[in-house]
Amino acid sequence: MKNVKKILAVLMALALIVGCFAACGSKEETEPAKKETKLKVGFIFLHDENSTYDLNFLNGAKAACEKLGVEYVIKTNIPETNECYEAAADLADQGCNIVFADSFGHESFMIQAAKEYPDVEFCHATGTRAHTEGLDNYHNAFASIYEGRYLAGVAAGLKLNEMIENGTEINGTVVTADNAKIGYVGAYTYAEVISGYTSFFLGARSICPTVTMEVQFTGSWYDETAEKEAATLLINKGCNLISQHADSMGAPTACETAGVPDVSYNGSTVEQCPNTFIVSSRIDWEPYFEYIIACVTDDKAIDTDWTGTIATGSVVLTDVNEAAAAKDTQAKLDEVKAEIEAGKIKVFDTSTFTVDGKEVTSYTADVDTDENYEGDTEVISDGAFLESNFRSAPYFDLRIDGITLLNEKY
Amino acid sequence: MAKEKTKESLIHITKRDTLPQWKSWLIRIISIVVALIFCALIIVLLTGENPIRIYATMIQGAIGTSRRVWGLLQNVAMLLCVSLAVTPAFRMRFWNIGAEGQVLIGGLATTACMILLGNSLPTYLLIPLIFITSILAGAIWALIPAIFKAIWNTNETLFTLMMNYIAMQIVSYFAYVWSVPKGSGAIGVINGSSQAGWLPTIFGQKYFLNILIVAILTIVVYIYLKYSKHGYEISVVGESENTAKYIGINVRKVIIRTMLVSGALCGIAGVLLVSGTDHTLTKDTAAGRGFTAIIVSWLAKFNPIYMVLTSLLIVFLQKGAIEIASVFELNDSFSDIITGIIIFFIIGSEFFINYKINFNKKEEDK
Amino acid sequence: MPVPSIELKGITKTFGHIVANENINLSVNRGEILAILGENGSGKTTLMNMIAGIYYPDEGHIYIDGKEVNINSPKDALDLKIGMIHQHFKLVDVFNATENIILGLQEDKYDIKAASKKIQDTCQRYGFEIDMNKKIYEMSVSEKQTVEIVKTIYKGADILILDEPTAVLTPQETQKLFAVLRKMREDDKTIIIITHKLHEVLEISDRVSVLRKGKYIGTINTADANESLLTEMMVGEKISLDIERTDPKNTADRLIVKGVDLYNKEGVQVLHDVTFTAKSGEILGIAGISGSGQRELLEAIAGLKKISGGEILYNNPSTNETENLKDKTPLQIRNLGVRLSFVPEDRLGMGLVGNMDIIDNMMLRSYRKGKSVFLERKKPKELANRIINDLQVVTPDAKTPVRRLSGGNVQKVLVGREIASSPTVLMAAYPVRGLDINSSYMIYNLLNQQKENGVAVIFVGEDLDVLIELCDRILVVCAGRVTGIVEGRTAKKEEIGLLMTKMKVKEDKDNG
Repeated sequence: MKNVKKILAVLMALALIVGCFAACGSKEETEPAKKETKLKVGFIFLHDENSTYDLNFLNGAKAACEKLGVEYVIKTNIPETNECYEAAADLADQGCNIVFADSFGHESFMIQAAKEYPDVEFCHATGTRAHTEGLDNYHNAFASIYEGRYLAGVAAGLKLNEMIENGTEINGTVVTADNAKIGYVGAYTYAEVISGYTSFFLGARSICPTVTMEVQFTGSWYDETAEKEAATLLINKGCNLISQHADSMGAPTACETAGVPDVSYNGSTVEQCPNTFIVSSRIDWEPYFEYIIACVTDDKAIDTDWTGTIATGSVVLTDVNEAAAAKDTQAKLDEVKAEIEAGKIKVFDTSTFTVDGKEVTSYTADVDTDENYEGDTEVISDGAFLESNFRSAPYFDLRIDGITLLNEKY
Repeated sequence: MAKEKTKESLIHITKRDTLPQWKSWLIRIISIVVALIFCALIIVLLTGENPIRIYATMIQGAIGTSRRVWGLLQNVAMLLCVSLAVTPAFRMRFWNIGAEGQVLIGGLATTACMILLGNSLPTYLLIPLIFITSILAGAIWALIPAIFKAIWNTNETLFTLMMNYIAMQIVSYFAYVWSVPKGSGAIGVINGSSQAGWLPTIFGQKYFLNILIVAILTIVVYIYLKYSKHGYEISVVGESENTAKYIGINVRKVIIRTMLVSGALCGIAGVLLVSGTDHTLTKDTAAGRGFTAIIVSWLAKFNPIYMVLTSLLIVFLQKGAIEIASVFELNDSFSDIITGIIIFFIIGSEFFINYKINFNKKEEDK
Repeated sequence: MPVPSIELKGITKTFGHIVANENINLSVNRGEILAILGENGSGKTTLMNMIAGIYYPDEGHIYIDGKEVNINSPKDALDLKIGMIHQHFKLVDVFNATENIILGLQEDKYDIKAASKKIQDTCQRYGFEIDMNKKIYEMSVSEKQTVEIVKTIYKGADILILDEPTAVLTPQETQKLFAVLRKMREDDKTIIIITHKLHEVLEISDRVSVLRKGKYIGTINTADANESLLTEMMVGEKISLDIERTDPKNTADRLIVKGVDLYNKEGVQVLHDVTFTAKSGEILGIAGISGSGQRELLEAIAGLKKISGGEILYNNPSTNETENLKDKTPLQIRNLGVRLSFVPEDRLGMGLVGNMDIIDNMMLRSYRKGKSVFLERKKPKELANRIINDLQVVTPDAKTPVRRLSGGNVQKVLVGREIASSPTVLMAAYPVRGLDINSSYMIYNLLNQQKENGVAVIFVGEDLDVLIELCDRILVVCAGRVTGIVEGRTAKKEEIGLLMTKMKVKEDKDNG
């Protein structure tokens, strides 16, 4: 008897609580959604400001919203699970006109929410499915970061040339034109990564024609230990310069310890690595956020796939670290940058690389995300691989000559 | 007479008799109130925000809209499910802290069924198959440490903990193998168009079935522990292995059987998370519930019915805390601090329920 | 009138609603042995723990040499030169005696030679016979106790409190201890000895203070005391010490133990070639210093320990068949139809589950009955209520967890359950340990009843007086060997005492 009473008490307490909730809930629902005069943007981030990846988005978001004077709500530490859908729907409930998510794995859940809230614009960075989903209110965005990588590669090439000229010794070996070699720490053998290291390599080779590259993958987007180990391995294999895709301080610190020049990513590491950091490329998301806010304010459609470029100010380089970089690097970078902007240099110019010893004249890339991972779109035209043309996220996945992948298991 | 010594401790702690129920609940409620006041102080000192507003935001965040209420209930159900899973083992004093891994392996089995068989099997076969394989997977993952404990008396705490990391790595591996698009390391929503292997939406609420299943499980586990012979054996083994041997209970058998039950329930949690909620698998699918469940189960003194309340409390705090972080732009860690303080006070209140503090009144009567 | 060494005034101590000590007044002089007499649970140990700094009184004052003191910790007590020898020794097993004694002393220099010398002097002065280089784990209980006493004196104690020091000793060892205590008295030390054995009080003490149920009853000079007077003070009413003993009827060999050898977990042999027969309708006592293999013997019979040699045979009275219980689990033994009941020494750690209520504890033996997967609590509930009524168990109700019952009531519940299954063999290990006199007598009567019902009763006891009065035959064990079987009606305490230490005598001869 006593137990029955206990259970009853608990159940009644629960019923009471649920009742209260339901009451609160229904009240909210019956109230017609007031047309807010002020725009509100909701942001969903995978981690918080402790991750460089998310910090980059976070800074852009705050800057854009404060500049344009719109309200914003930020939700951090949202995993790539149903929580993301809940967060997106909750932001829509709160009256956000735009909901943005920053991580690749958020995409399916953003699409789910987009279907449910047709009046809210859902924007997602690094995603690949907007152009095939056919939703008016779901958009992908990326930037032509390969242009930034190419520029960073130019800085790397200059450094290599300087080392060859000076006969600099790296890790006990004198750098010569014959052994000039770049080491690259990648995450996965994924188009975004391949596009990144290839453009970096092409940039470097445009300056230092004899250079080769080796790539070591870690199998994680963020793993400080693995990245550090990968960088050390590359240095020991005779690489004279290191660059990386992954976001942690692993590779830069390994370089600083070994005294190997490093081209970083996603922000300057000059403070931690004053002797080896040359330059870093990154995507500045502020222009995109300003763009989508302007679109909604002016009642214009947002591009299904938006690609930021050097021209839009989305792709930027950090200040060159004069202590580590070759002389006159800044001048050369400005020159190449102007040429890219003018369309004189195409990063993936098919005349600058070969695959299996042959120039590529035709290639169908896997642009549409579907169950069969096969090429579906012809992407070579006018003597160049048209990266970011058919969707914003990269799809360049050719294995060009001159680059050796040390491990491909990931 | 002069005192030889002047030093004298001010308080002395003595063990109490068992308090009547209402008194011990009163102490618990007071402890929560004190915790809230204490947190309010911290909030004012650290952030300068109005604590009342912060608490209002917390409540708003947890139950402010009907979506949030459903989200809350869904999360309570998931946490409760994992807590139910660890409870039989805990009552046996087998410290299974490997629920995280057992849930993941269960979820992995669900994912495998959905991906590999999603297009070839009809739903009425696929869903039962998902349950069977996931329950088996979770049970096997729990069985391994149980066998080692039963036969070689290995330390189950370390063993189950390590099994979590193995499970995470296995999940990471398959997340890569099945990733869409290839190489991205994320599986994405499985069978998004066909919805094959998704638990059905009933009464128009996609979480309703999850909540219903967990509610039924709660009652089943309660009855199993309290009224079944197995449950009785679990209690005896947990209280004293010597007693168990004395009355002829095969302790090894009970350890293995109970861990199978524990693992099987974790497997069900895996199904509910993958097939019933996320429709995808990452190594964060269990989201630390395997560890939070330990607190839920302890706070409820391993009673499944009380666990409804404790899991509600914890999820409420978590949800509220996330909202605080969002609205006041405080770091998530700040909300963790608040949750931590409140839980600390609740656990601390158990001390006052079990012990009495006497203040020395010696000074007056020299 | 000299100033007393220790004086207690109005000491009160409560634990929850239990009043352990109520308004106690006591005084002890230098060069005096005071015996604190009282039944188990009368508050003797609690009171002494307050002097030793383990508990702190709720009310009252403590004076040492006339000065009021506050004793908050054992360290405070030691600063006041108070030392207590507890029933459970606090020694490091792998250290030798000297190392244990100097352990924890805050001297400037760790000078083991000087310390050894000082220890030797102490031993000679009071007549301790002990090898200070022996490791603790090699020592007998009596030797360990000696180390504790030497340690306490070495640390400078002038006031010595001994908590039931003779409980673990043989009569011969007790005599040695008393000799030491007398020498200390001559040396002007203050000695308090806690005991509930009347003859020891009369033998050793100068004065005796009696506690009953937490209350102070009075103090008398030992010279004016006798056993019946002290008993009356202790239990409040005069009760006969006689245990009714009937002659065994219709005896038959029930349990035959032949040449049993047993090794413990560490691989040490704890039973050597144990052979005896337990007969129906009689009580077989087992006497021995605690830890001589009594516990292992009973557990081996019950199927809890695997024997390595010999056999255990059971003559089933209903089928007239003989079963070998060797290598059988408790469940298999039960399934053979062997009605074996066992009241283990460790009541709450083995016989009962402390956190479960009385009803659930009743089920321990019987819960398997029936095919249902669910428990049947109706019959256990009836049994629980019957035991509560018949054995006068003091409890709020049958749903009270047994750990909240007092020791005597716990034992009644356990014995009640074991008897309820109408056994043919009933084994009871120290069934009256920690019980008050009334409860003890109830247990003796229950054992006698079982004997009259034709049950073969095996009773492991520590009080030789009780063994001699209760048992028909007494099996004496020493260090895992049977050293003799004596008739209860004719046995002498000294004779049993000698048998209890027989091995030791033999070893001493070997060594000498």
